Amino acid sequence: MIQMIINTLASAAIVAPAAVAFTLVFTLFRYANFAVGGFVTVGAFAAWTINVPLGCPLWVAGLGAMVVCASAFALSDRLVFRALRGRSGGTLLLVSIALSFVLENIMRFIYGAQMKGFDLPLTGPITIWDVRITRETVAVVSVSLLAILVVGAILILTPIGRALRAVADNPSLASVRGLPVPSVEVFGIAVAGAMLGLSGTLVGVDLSIDPNLNWAVTIPIIAAAIVGGLGSPIGAAAGAILIGAAEELTVAFLAPTYKGAVGFAVIALVLILRPQGLLGDKVDRK
Amino acid sequence: MTPRLMADGLTKRFSGTTVVDNVSFYVDPGQIVGLTGPNGAGKTTLFNLLSGVLKPDAGTLTVNGVDATNLPPYRLARLGLVRTFQLARELDRLSVLENVQLAARNNVGESLTGALFRPAATRQAEQAITQRAREVLSLVSLSAHESKPAAALSGGQKKLLELARCLMAEADIILLDEIAAGVAPHLVEEIAVLIRRLNREHGKTFVIIEHNIGFIRNLASRVVVMASGKVLAEGSFDHVAADPAVVASYLGQAA
Repeated sequence: MIQMIINTLASAAIVAPAAVAFTLVFTLFRYANFAVGGFVTVGAFAAWTINVPLGCPLWVAGLGAMVVCASAFALSDRLVFRALRGRSGGTLLLVSIALSFVLENIMRFIYGAQMKGFDLPLTGPITIWDVRITRETVAVVSVSLLAILVVGAILILTPIGRALRAVADNPSLASVRGLPVPSVEVFGIAVAGAMLGLSGTLVGVDLSIDPNLNWAVTIPIIAAAIVGGLGSPIGAAAGAILIGAAEELTVAFLAPTYKGAVGFAVIALVLILRPQGLLGDKVDRK
Repeated sequence: MTPRLMADGLTKRFSGTTVVDNVSFYVDPGQIVGLTGPNGAGKTTLFNLLSGVLKPDAGTLTVNGVDATNLPPYRLARLGLVRTFQLARELDRLSVLENVQLAARNNVGESLTGALFRPAATRQAEQAITQRAREVLSLVSLSAHESKPAAALSGGQKKLLELARCLMAEADIILLDEIAAGVAPHLVEEIAVLIRRLNREHGKTFVIIEHNIGFIRNLASRVVVMASGKVLAEGSFDHVAADPAVVASYLGQAA
């Protein structure tokens, strides 16, 4: 039982930063960016490149991956999404899925399809009562939690975070009030990109890194964000825990094959019982 | 003395209909000018021209001595002119205090470089802004509501918040579009007292659109009456109220 909770937290910790990124993009621009998994994959490869061929420690690799993903995400907005501002959510969703395939295949082209892993020292798990916790799990969970708290603090406590919430609340009104909307948007995108890079690094600690990561992580990320209530970073983290728990239960009591379908089932259940998500506000369409 | 605001021959047409027709008027520093007239007289369209929301088809606009004819709203705000809207619009999910803080001009912490590379300047600016926002809120008696989301305010309180925002933006000319409309009577009185106080003690210049004749009589040092897009009469309240054309336009509408 406790073991299952630990496993749940571990998989939630990987998904949560990316779910926060997804929800940030959604609140700023009102569209579902399905390319988040693609950027997580880019982040994983960026971290691997810094860690293994370049031989830097993993924390340097993680920071590097965050910078790479923040820049790549901002670039994708400049090249792809800025031209499509104001288009329907459906259009942007399809474009983001296409972008995801492009990113996945760029990674496949550069790195090949072989599985890769970080250069981590082998350490035995710590066993407390009959529960096995690896040091990596402890690190992954604490780093993820810290990152989400930092993003939350930026949003609530800083002037640029306040500006970001103003733009998310009502972009045209924020602009009339004289806020520099484009640069506030770039800031939000960069924060989201950094979270995707972090998720990429964390996923590489737990799983092997290959281009197929893309779709393996996309569904849990989006499921977590939707379940948590789009627009709420803390909700996204809670959603990640719920999705992680559901997957863990499936593996334990059904069969690992169904793991991928669980995300969809949870989304469906939440949308039926609580359409605004766990912690989301009801949003009026204006 | 340079007028705060000078409109010369402002004209706006919408698909052939001339809504504002060759309107000229000026507002001197420290004046409270009332703008009134029957519905459809073009008052709000004139406000949209004065505040840069619409561009005029003809005529010029001068704000604090600077040609401001085709400037967008945020540039006019930098010249010291801000406005409120008939329906107060706030950033609903942000707190009352945050709404006011966001109105501060040139906040270094809201720019990318400031937020990332100038933490000390950002912190200082933020402290100063928060302090001033609290002062402004106490001036409009909204201090007790500072941490509520703006959406939770009543209609009248939202209008007070609009005023607070104008003050925070360091405007010296404030255009108020029906600030007393749809506001509870005791708040109307409070708003009137506040406008007079801001005018006398802080030297703010106001142009107010208002249907409430009592409100105009009480506040305005000069009244401009519009009808069918034109200035019908201009002068002191008593002078304008005695003008037969003004009486006719109101009676004509009532009939």
